[in-house]
Amino acid sequence: MAAFTGWFRAVTYRGREGQIAWMLHRVTGLGVFFFLALHILDIFLVSFGPELFDSLLFFYHQFLLKLAIVFGLFPGVLYHGLNGMRIIAIDFWPNLGRKQAMLWRIQIIVFAAAYIPSAILMLLSMFGSH
Amino acid sequence: MIARGTARPRPASSFELYSWFFMRISAIIMVLLVGFHLFYMHLILGVDAIDFEIISARWSSPFWRLYDFFMLTFAWLHCTNGVRIVLDDYSHSQGWRVFIKSILYLFAFIVIVLGSYVVFTFQP
Repeated sequence: MAAFTGWFRAVTYRGREGQIAWMLHRVTGLGVFFFLALHILDIFLVSFGPELFDSLLFFYHQFLLKLAIVFGLFPGVLYHGLNGMRIIAIDFWPNLGRKQAMLWRIQIIVFAAAYIPSAILMLLSMFGSH
Repeated sequence: MIARGTARPRPASSFELYSWFFMRISAIIMVLLVGFHLFYMHLILGVDAIDFEIISARWSSPFWRLYDFFMLTFAWLHCTNGVRIVLDDYSHSQGWRVFIKSILYLFAFIVIVLGSYVVFTFQP
């Protein structure tokens, strides 16, 4: 319970858009770190030939893993990339910093516009109408 | 109020400045490289279609080998530097921080060596 209230306070601290943007950037960055480690090491396995590599592909073809890609990896990378571009824009044009909350809201709209159709496309191909 | 004549002390090393700059440069490069990679692999091909054949065909061209090499190297250095910054934020004991960062750098070295090895030595 104490841990939960601690988390709740951290999340509802009055940092508003900037704080949420920072938290999501950190969480998605760490998530991509773990996925990417796995991904680089699995691609390394192609050097052992087609039999081994293709026999291990079941891992990425599992239903749960595909769901994790559509609802975790893909939006995670997309958010991290868009948020990073917003940070770079503010770094190079410091006046934009005064509008950072509005920029973040625009970023969320861009995110939704890119993510929702992509997720629908990936889910459609997952359920066979490829 | 800004007191005059009390400039911020200059850091002894400019490592953090280069780190900051590297994160921005690698991010801009990766938006292009990773953006196209995700678009092509997940939306055009689909995860189910990817197998040894596809990778083999992709790496028959040196362009895609270089593309993958740069993507791998920039992404992994960017990842490692990001985790280094997160570790600095949360690990307050010097010994523990040195230990866990050593593992992080060793792991980064292994990942980049193995990844580059397969990109450049792969025989279709």
